[in-house]
Parts: sequence; structure tokens; C-alpha cells
Amino acid sequence: MEALGLYNYWVFIILMMVGFYVVVARGNLVKKIVGLNIFQTSVFLFYISMGKIFGGTAPILIADASETVVYSNPLPHVLILTAIVVGVATTALGLALVVRIKEAYGTCEEDEIHAMEEEP
Amino acid sequence: MRHHLIPRVVAKLLIPFILMFGLYVQFHGDYGPGGGFQAGVIFASGFILYGLIFGLEAARRIVPSNLVAFCIAAGVIIYAGVGFLGLALGGNYLDYNVLGHDPVHGQHRGIFWVELGVGLTVAATMVKVFYMFAGRGRL
Repeated sequence: MEALGLYNYWVFIILMMVGFYVVVARGNLVKKIVGLNIFQTSVFLFYISMGKIFGGTAPILIADASETVVYSNPLPHVLILTAIVVGVATTALGLALVVRIKEAYGTCEEDEIHAMEEEP
Repeated sequence: MRHHLIPRVVAKLLIPFILMFGLYVQFHGDYGPGGGFQAGVIFASGFILYGLIFGLEAARRIVPSNLVAFCIAAGVIIYAGVGFLGLALGGNYLDYNVLGHDPVHGQHRGIFWVELGVGLTVAATMVKVFYMFAGRGRL
């Protein structure tokens, strides 16, 4: 029964596999970038799930607390903030490359680009 | 999409609230979820919504490209300036404790100005990325 209480980790596994499948199995370049984003989001979810402490609340200081408050670990939250920023920058760079590829080859599909490259 | 009236009216109603929400997230970073990066992205999304609905030239008239470039640099300079201010007042680089009359006020001021610099740079960068992507078709 404890496996049902760990649904955070089940959702993480499902999202990671969905993102991985989209990256590997789809030929459209924009869809690959979307799959990479889904993969990234699942890793964020995993980290923050690991940072939760039993009975802990969000790691924001409550100014006037009558009794002792248990906070979750703030370090994974900070790391994931930085990782989200890095993800946004990576997505922007990837999309810029896709725009340039579309202008150079006329298409976004990976197999058509390979076919154009293989012609002598 | 033949009927452009509904997006235009709804955008004109929504954009002030989006900008206000961006400012709220910016200044409540130490009391709730928020801070510089999130606020910058929310603030820029207001301008990007305007550019999507009313056209790129209208957006460029409101926020010209050199103003955006200036804002990107200005945010970084504010961040570095807070660091050098800490040096000038006798502490280390980016030492917040010396910025006020006691360390708690110094921390408040340091975080406020640093987050302002971050929010400015992030908002300007998002608007610049939108201009770069959307302006490619006709150039």
C-alpha cells in the first residue's frame, strides 16, 4: 500500500518515459525539443519530491509562528530554480537552431533533412 | 481567424493585470514564491501578448529595440553595482550586511536591488528573444 503513497515518483517515471519517447521516436525537430522539455520537467519534479520532509511545509519563513514549524529542505528548491532558468535558455537556443535549419533546408522533418544530405 | 475583436478586447483588459501581477511577484520574493526571474518572465509575457495581438511594429513602437538592449545591460550593472557598493562601504564584494544600519536591513536592501536587476534583465531578454524570433519572416 505504501507504493500508492509514493505517487510523486510514479508520475516522475511516467513523465520521464513520455519525454524520452518523444525525443527518440518523433522526427519533427520542434517535437523533439518539446519532448526534451517534458523530460526536464520530470527531473525537476523528482528533485523537489526528494526534498520534502514528513510534516514539512514550504521553505518560506513564517514570521510570527506560535509553535515550532518544520520546513522542507530549501536547497533542492534553489537548485531547481537555477535549473529552470537553464532550461529556458536551452530551449531558446534549440528553437533558434531549428529556425535556422528550417531556413537552410526548407523543412523541419529529420528524415527529409537526411535525404537532402545524402544526395550527391 | 476572421474575428480579431475578442482577442483584442480581452488583451487590452488583461495586459495591465499581467504587468501588475509581474510587479507583485517581483516585490514579494522574500515573503512568498517569487523573485527576479519569475517576475521578469511574467512581466515580459504582457509585452509579448501585446506584440502577438497588435503586431510586431506596434510592440516595437512601444518598446524600441535599443531600449530593450539598454535594459538588459542596466540590470546587470545594477547587480554588479550592489556588489561594488558593498566593497565601497567596507565589506566584501556583494556583502549585504554593510548596506544598512544593521545587517537585517542591509540584507533586505541588498536582496531588493539585486532582484530588481535580475527582473529587469530577464524581462528585457524575453522581449528581445521574442523580437528576434518574430522579426525573422520579413527581414
